[in-house]
Amino acid sequence: MRGRATAAAAALALVPGAALAHASQRAVLLTLPTKGFVWAAAIVVALTALLSGVTRRGPAFEARSLFSRPRLCPDGLTSWLSAAVLLLLVYAGLYGTHDPYRNPLPLWIWTVLWVGLTALQAFFGNLWRDLDPWRGPVRACRALLGRTGGMGLARLGQWPAALGFLAFAWFEIVSLSPDDPAELALIVAFYWLAIFLLAVAEGEGWLRQGEFLTVFFANVARIAPFWADYEGRRVTVKAGLPGAQVAGLPPLSGSAIAFLMLMIASVSFDGLHETYLWVAAIGLNPLDYPGRSAVMVVNTAGLLAAWAIMAGLICGAVALAVRAERVTLAQILGPLALSFLPIAAGYHVAHYLTALLTQGQYAIAALSDPLARGDDLLGLGPHWVGFGFLTDHDAVWRIWILQFAIILGAHVVAVLLSHRIAANAGLRLTPWREMPLTLLMVLYTCFGLWLLATPAIG
Amino acid sequence: MTKGLTLTPTRRTVLAGMGAATAASFFPGYTNAQSSEPIRLGFQLHRTGIGAAYGRWYERTATAALARMNAAGGIGGRPVEILFEDDGTDPARGAEVFGKLATQSNCDLVFGALFSHVVIGTAPRAAELKVPYLVCSEGHHVASGMLNRWTLQPGITDVKSQVQAMAPFVTSNLGKKVTMIFPDFAFGHDHRDYFTAACTAQGGEVIAQIAIPPTETSFTRYFPQIPAETEVIYHVMVGPAVLTFVKELGEFYGSGARPQLFGFIDSLEAVDINSAGLEFLDGSHFWEAHPRYKQADASEAETAYRAAVGVDDNGASVGDAADVATYSHMFSVWETLSVIKAGMEAAGYTGAADRQKLVEAIEAMTGFEEGEDHPQGAKTFNGKTHQAFGIQNITKVEGGRLVVAHTASVEDGMYPDEVDYTSQNF
Repeated sequence: MRGRATAAAAALALVPGAALAHASQRAVLLTLPTKGFVWAAAIVVALTALLSGVTRRGPAFEARSLFSRPRLCPDGLTSWLSAAVLLLLVYAGLYGTHDPYRNPLPLWIWTVLWVGLTALQAFFGNLWRDLDPWRGPVRACRALLGRTGGMGLARLGQWPAALGFLAFAWFEIVSLSPDDPAELALIVAFYWLAIFLLAVAEGEGWLRQGEFLTVFFANVARIAPFWADYEGRRVTVKAGLPGAQVAGLPPLSGSAIAFLMLMIASVSFDGLHETYLWVAAIGLNPLDYPGRSAVMVVNTAGLLAAWAIMAGLICGAVALAVRAERVTLAQILGPLALSFLPIAAGYHVAHYLTALLTQGQYAIAALSDPLARGDDLLGLGPHWVGFGFLTDHDAVWRIWILQFAIILGAHVVAVLLSHRIAANAGLRLTPWREMPLTLLMVLYTCFGLWLLATPAIG
Repeated sequence: MTKGLTLTPTRRTVLAGMGAATAASFFPGYTNAQSSEPIRLGFQLHRTGIGAAYGRWYERTATAALARMNAAGGIGGRPVEILFEDDGTDPARGAEVFGKLATQSNCDLVFGALFSHVVIGTAPRAAELKVPYLVCSEGHHVASGMLNRWTLQPGITDVKSQVQAMAPFVTSNLGKKVTMIFPDFAFGHDHRDYFTAACTAQGGEVIAQIAIPPTETSFTRYFPQIPAETEVIYHVMVGPAVLTFVKELGEFYGSGARPQLFGFIDSLEAVDINSAGLEFLDGSHFWEAHPRYKQADASEAETAYRAAVGVDDNGASVGDAADVATYSHMFSVWETLSVIKAGMEAAGYTGAADRQKLVEAIEAMTGFEEGEDHPQGAKTFNGKTHQAFGIQNITKVEGGRLVVAHTASVEDGMYPDEVDYTSQNF
């Protein structure tokens, strides 16, 4: 049946029909001088690299303790609460309304968690540490079973997380119906159970390297200007420039580098696959987009290629930058790759900003009407969800400026961090030698902004 | 700008939010427990994908129409419920959710799809499962005969009829020498072919056809192709570059004399006509099925419909004055639901076994009176071609509003039958 439907769709170009390609936020954005912003950002990033390289003076990336307090609740309690919420969400996904913008499960997974929590992590540190739905149950189960030790999964480093993230990215970007509440519920339940069993076997500590959400959120939280350090029963809240946590981190392992590259590649491809450039390149008419079913194979290939290209570019740029140094690529890639953390986090926040502002409204509306029966517990009033800002000139300007600031800021921090990390590693990179790395940062700044401003479907 | 999103997030609020959601999400949504035997209507909703901007308003219209219908006693005294399934604006997914609605959710019929490729991808499934499929698509594919007996379009006219109905007004009032600017694919070609034929029949002449590649985002270099003797520019650009198109056309002509402009509101559906860059459209004309701005002589039915779907006098959401509705298309959902009610009551519909009777009852209909069931206007229905024909409006941009300048009659949009579905087997 699916084949027939696809064939019918493929034949659409031959039949009469209505084209309702919608003039949306991009329509307004296309009338704004975004190209000037792209050039300006490129110049700022290049100048930052040059000045920082020449003067060898950059920010200290120091952390300041703001205050210290005792832990408010027993460790693991919030994890249990999260697991309970997840169970309810899965139940809602299976038996609730099939409308993905009224059912709480897709809204919580795709908007509250993937977009909202990521943005919070980028500012307030690793909230996921308290919210992950595995740690509490895993600890309790291991205690019940009297299990200590593991089964050797730790030797795989972050590769299980990278594979989990790849599957997740494919599900989000390529698969036919990632928003379907019932299908999502089954996948969430299966994933939770699989990770639970593996963590029971290996130990709760394995989650930090084997479970992709835990790795992802930890990576994002590392660029936060505010964060909490846990020492026994006390929590110390700290602050510092974005990147202050990164400068003191140990080098990334090979699998951790692969994971970070995938973070950047997947969100980049998520932006790219909807652009006119990509749609036209795969031989389709962007004004007559046939839907996901027609592009699953090519977009799967695109996602994988994006990962490979991203890894290749970063490895290549670092190798070229340190070619005259007495270090091997393997030695220096681990520390220097850390400087791409701000880019991964920043682009994620900028890319999903519009989704946060649109689907976020549905998430709030769903809280007001949790049974999808027309309730209004929060007193929002009728027809509360409104997308007028998407075609409002001033609002689109403000969103663009915010996205611009996030992307530019992320790349400036990345450049400064790379210098600090190189200096810490004893490298004396001149601006000329590090040119490949600078060029990559500049190019990626332009690419990230271009992705947000170029014509796109949807 | 975006109300309700002034979050001041802290660790505590995140946890509090999760706690609230724990309580709030405990019993997920059911709406169907009131009656033992409600009529269940499946809705194929463009909730995600490229049709999402339309889907949002289609869902809103369907929900409003349902509330009105149930308040008035439902269908044949039975309550009605609508089950929404997201088709992702994808034909394969469309066929899939059609099957889910028909077989798993036991819906009596499925309606609501707009995008042509979804309709064309789903219609075979409707015939296979023998479940009525009422589309709100505007495409000519129903009346052209390419679909099947189970697929009907009683709630909106098709693009061939719409385009044809414009020709008498354009040639009589705006000018006889027309230059067409359209995107170079099937949609644009339909406009080119239908309008050129209709214009010629009215004594006009299409003196230039400028096809723009679909990926084009700047148009200035095409404008010199517009012949100097052009009296009317007929434009049907769509997609994100449409504001750029209007802006550049304005820059091309400057403040000097320009031809009359005639366009289809599809280009600017859900976009404020007063958006920056659209000033050049002042004084130009648009096709609108259902005028976005409430007209001075609006009927009571029109007023009631606007209130029910939560759209203000300017065509925007009552909750967000900048959120312009897909007003020229969404009435089709409301009117299709009215046809479903009339059809089921005429057929004495009791359950799935009567699905064929329902199709036959709709085929037997000849037209719909203007009124609260059909606020867009009176229509005739051709049971053989499964297609509705109705009035079309031509509105003029005046003082930042779209004001009706002419209403084309139902007859202006009629054309010879291209199929007789009633001769086909179920």
